[in-house]
Amino acid sequence: MEAKRRRSIFDMVDEYFERLKEWTERFEKIFFERPSWDCKTCTIEPLQDIYVTPDEVIVTVDLPYAEENTIRVMPINKDTIEISAEMKRKVSFDDFGITHYRGEFNRFRCETRIPVPVDMKRMEVRFRKGMLEVRLPRKYDYEIPVE
Amino acid sequence: MHALYKEIIRIIEREQIPKGTTMIFGFPDVGLVGVIAASHLITELSLKEVAYADSTLLPPITVLHEGLPHSPIRIFGNHKILLAVSETALREDLVYPITRSLIDWGVEKGTKLMISLSGLPVPDRQGLEELKVFAAASNPEVLKMAQDKGIEILKEGYMVGPQAVMLQYCAMLGVPALTLLAQCFFNYPDPEAAAKVLEQLMNITGLKVDLSKLFEKGEEIRLKARDMMRRTQQELMKMKKTQEFDIPLYIT
Repeated sequence: MEAKRRRSIFDMVDEYFERLKEWTERFEKIFFERPSWDCKTCTIEPLQDIYVTPDEVIVTVDLPYAEENTIRVMPINKDTIEISAEMKRKVSFDDFGITHYRGEFNRFRCETRIPVPVDMKRMEVRFRKGMLEVRLPRKYDYEIPVE
Repeated sequence: MHALYKEIIRIIEREQIPKGTTMIFGFPDVGLVGVIAASHLITELSLKEVAYADSTLLPPITVLHEGLPHSPIRIFGNHKILLAVSETALREDLVYPITRSLIDWGVEKGTKLMISLSGLPVPDRQGLEELKVFAAASNPEVLKMAQDKGIEILKEGYMVGPQAVMLQYCAMLGVPALTLLAQCFFNYPDPEAAAKVLEQLMNITGLKVDLSKLFEKGEEIRLKARDMMRRTQQELMKMKKTQEFDIPLYIT
């Protein structure tokens, strides 16, 4: 009790952030370790990659079997985009030789967090050989003058 | 075989191993080039499992095929080639012991040449129409042989992963070894790169393999290989694979 009374507000804030960090790490682990498919929504999570250059952020997504005219890239908030696409044909676990799960997939879906500020309105999207490329110009809100 | 590795990694033979073969390695790496190429060779040449690796160092994984357990690291073969392949991403700390123990075993079995198949990640891969294949070797004679076959040499730079260990270890043992690297995606399964690396494997060894399915079934392969690519990405990060993009400083 004695020790508790001596804790300052700063200690409490530190502790709160420590706990938050712990939870985030644990959540990230669970998030990553979940299956890359979802039978309920018939979706497969595609492989994705992100490059940050001085001028733009380039997101690439591997979308084999994707029907080009169904590809949707939607900003869902200022730093996240949602990518989805219908597949040209349904794919089932049977196609992978798996018989202990049941389910079919007809859609790709993933969310990508953009790590730096970007101008979502000037987004450019290209699809070539089953690979989606999303280019987002970077936004610089302030500049530090060099003396 | 090195006593330490022999104790911790055993290669269990299921068949009589012929002498004078070429030993090929297809391990998970960038673009899964080696694994896709190896898997294609197994199917097209109807290779049989002739041996497998057993070790308590391996993760507690068994790969089930037709309900029966198999080691994730197996050696397939026929009278001409032996093909070592891993069906799981190789943990960073296992790259040395596994690669070296497979080489020691291959040397014991009198293989005449070791060839690893892998990829060379290029940032503008999507824009490349024609993929190049590069080679590096354990000695100048093997390097010349590759050059004489028209393969470009990877002259300067860093190599990271099982093929790096293979080349260095074979050079140390005086074993002829060659690494073939096709330009590829870093983080996406790349069947086209696998086809390119196999073209050069045929050029070197005289093997005949139909590559058409790698193009026809490219999308299917990319879809199937997603999870293995994801696991491999994690291990590539740990072994600092991006060092291959670095410009080396040589002190001469």
